[in-house]
Amino acid sequence: MSNDAGPVGALDGVRVLDLTDERAIYGAKLLADLGAAVLRPEPPGGDPLRRRGPFAGGAAGGESLWYAHFGSSRGGLTLDSESDKDVATLRALACAADVVLDNGRLEACGLDAESLVGERAGLVVVRSSSFGREGPWRDYLAPDLVASALGGICATTGDVDTPPLKLFGELAFLLSGTYVAIGALAALRHARETGEGQIVDAAVHEAIPSALEQVLMYAWYWELVGPAEAPVLPRQGSLHWTTLYEVLQAQGGGVMVTPTPDMEAQLAWLVGEGFAEELLDPKWEDPELRMEYARRMMEAMRAWVPTREVQGLFTEAQERHAPYGRVLPPELLLENPQLAARGWWQSYRVGGEAVQGPGGPYRLEGTPWRVRAEAPSVEAGADPVAEGPKDLAGVLSAIGWTD
Amino acid sequence: MGARPLDGIRVLDFTHVLAGPFGTRILGDLGADVVKVATAERAMGAGADPNEPYYIAWNRSKRSLALNMETDGGRSIGLELCARADVVIENFSPGVLDRWGLSEPVLRGANPGVIVVSMSGMGVGGPWSNFVTFAPTIHALSGLTALTGVPGRDDIGIGFSYNDHAAGMHAAVAVLAALEARRREGVGQRVEVAQFETGVSFLGPTLLDLVVNGGKAEASGNRLPYDVAAPHGCYPCLPLPDAEGGEEEHWVAIAVMSDAQWRSLREVMGEPAWARAPAYETAAGRVAAMETIDRAVSVWTAAQAAVDVMERCQAAGVPAGVVQTGIDLTRRDPQLRASGYFTTAEGEHPAVGVQPVDRLPLHFSATPIEGYPRTRMLGEDTTAVLLDWLGMAADEVAAKEADGTLG
Repeated sequence: MSNDAGPVGALDGVRVLDLTDERAIYGAKLLADLGAAVLRPEPPGGDPLRRRGPFAGGAAGGESLWYAHFGSSRGGLTLDSESDKDVATLRALACAADVVLDNGRLEACGLDAESLVGERAGLVVVRSSSFGREGPWRDYLAPDLVASALGGICATTGDVDTPPLKLFGELAFLLSGTYVAIGALAALRHARETGEGQIVDAAVHEAIPSALEQVLMYAWYWELVGPAEAPVLPRQGSLHWTTLYEVLQAQGGGVMVTPTPDMEAQLAWLVGEGFAEELLDPKWEDPELRMEYARRMMEAMRAWVPTREVQGLFTEAQERHAPYGRVLPPELLLENPQLAARGWWQSYRVGGEAVQGPGGPYRLEGTPWRVRAEAPSVEAGADPVAEGPKDLAGVLSAIGWTD
Repeated sequence: MGARPLDGIRVLDFTHVLAGPFGTRILGDLGADVVKVATAERAMGAGADPNEPYYIAWNRSKRSLALNMETDGGRSIGLELCARADVVIENFSPGVLDRWGLSEPVLRGANPGVIVVSMSGMGVGGPWSNFVTFAPTIHALSGLTALTGVPGRDDIGIGFSYNDHAAGMHAAVAVLAALEARRREGVGQRVEVAQFETGVSFLGPTLLDLVVNGGKAEASGNRLPYDVAAPHGCYPCLPLPDAEGGEEEHWVAIAVMSDAQWRSLREVMGEPAWARAPAYETAAGRVAAMETIDRAVSVWTAAQAAVDVMERCQAAGVPAGVVQTGIDLTRRDPQLRASGYFTTAEGEHPAVGVQPVDRLPLHFSATPIEGYPRTRMLGEDTTAVLLDWLGMAADEVAAKEADGTLG
């Protein structure tokens, strides 16, 4: 925000009013950490998302680390949707913004996107929801697990002896949030070029199926795609749909192994360690036998990997340009040499203390990604004009939206 | 075709397999002129056969240019194209563009406004810089595999290449942001999407918990790792008949997020005696008895169709949803049907004919995405692109095709 003296971000000067909930807050975070001036009004008593764990100190009531991450780089302001004056302020803020990201709060305050876009030339309003504004499921409730089930994630995640599984953390809503950022920036670009604003509608239920790799491909083309024999693959743990990638247990831990992309190099390695010599037979050069060759290679790897120590196997594989990956628990990431060497970790403030926290998903060399300021807290600074009237000029000045 | 948000933006696309092509597919859907460069080297590689569904899926809304980057002439045309591009994007291992004489400083000299996007696995620099990665590699190394699974197992992970899609989407965000920065400052810049860093960033709150509290996250199945909610899981339902006369398993997800929703679920279940236990009145009490409750809920769901459980729960304000497969999504889902999510590409694809398409999940009121050009065959647009971007005449293109420059 205005009192931040670090390098200028790519979206410097872009004003964003953030009215998102958990389904799109990541989109607002993306814009905020890229340098946009993002204002996130909170209801009296604070944003409900501040009650999401994990918490500093470990117990509910401590500062939300979830919010420290997803609420980064934003300015705050308390606005009461029951107060006519505050709703008028919200409306004025929307008209002063370049982009409004909304999950239904506009309507809850009696405001509608169409009239805002009609009133303020060039305004972009991204409305996101679970299912869209029409259709038979439009009012269905879909927190992460339900969104993941309906969106197709769960049916393809898990093992034969587990239920269908959701993904850890917020991965489903990261997809919808990222699309919200894409929609906002694409529409902003159009507004920059033409002066024309617009509404962009986004639904979690459409975002997830776009990002399921093989799932739609099998539904459409399974007869053309090996090795499956049906349009829906069963849950099969870590075994990739191609059957060529799998997590196996080495001594000391799991490692994701694959004979691709150079099967002959993998075979030479296996044979050198006393495995899979039968695959040296020239008959396996027959293209008709390639699937069976690959299947037997994986069988040989299942016998071989348990004979190796995990870190040594992983390191040697990468030295051989084989794309193995050790299954790392998050605690080992803290010491990860690659993240350290590239200076990936960033400084966050939690409870007034500087701590090492997650870096960005990308790097823009000329306009660096960074966490810009402490996530606003209700107690200290969420309402920069708390003592004074919520006159628009005062608010705009306090949040740095003045020219 | 009407206006699209990225009309006039030119993207030179050297990406392959999934992460990069998914990112440029989004830019193409948004209206950018994405020219996918088919190099002789890459035409042999994974996911590079335009007749294969995997290639077809990720390469709509682009044009295809064949260029032999092993020849001086090919590299020269490559540089000329870069000079006219707004965005040059690749997901090679570090160094491939350099070997072609297309290093970032060379491109910058030819085109100060160009945005150069590199999407390698590990990024440039660091001891792992030259590591070879695919999405399953990144999932394993970034903690996503260890954390997605059931307690006690770190070998399940995500059942599809999540991080490839996510990296592509983040590349699109970065490109759009860099275009805004260029509008303001007049110059392009280098963008790096190191897919490992992208994946690790997704663990944000978990990493903060680790640093601040020493909290060690573990796979937690369908439970919420940090919040109190129960029941919260996937439960078996009546199987569906499949096309071959067999049965297709079907599940429903139920996520009770409040005590009020628990009371509603109890009503939907017919107020069974087991659910009246006073301890279950609070979320903490239900979490403490999660396994017992899950077993009882499973008995209730197992006698019903998943869609019926979902509809009854949702009517009562309880979050629930069918665990949908690809067949559910493409053939049964009434919501996606109502929104027209699935459509077909413009034109017939030579290999598969009608090309099914999942629409870009963004609905623009003023610049709607009304059509999706089908995936093109390798080099199908070489002549048109060289005319549009370089003003090259057809006979000149033909000569370069004959001498092997256009591979």
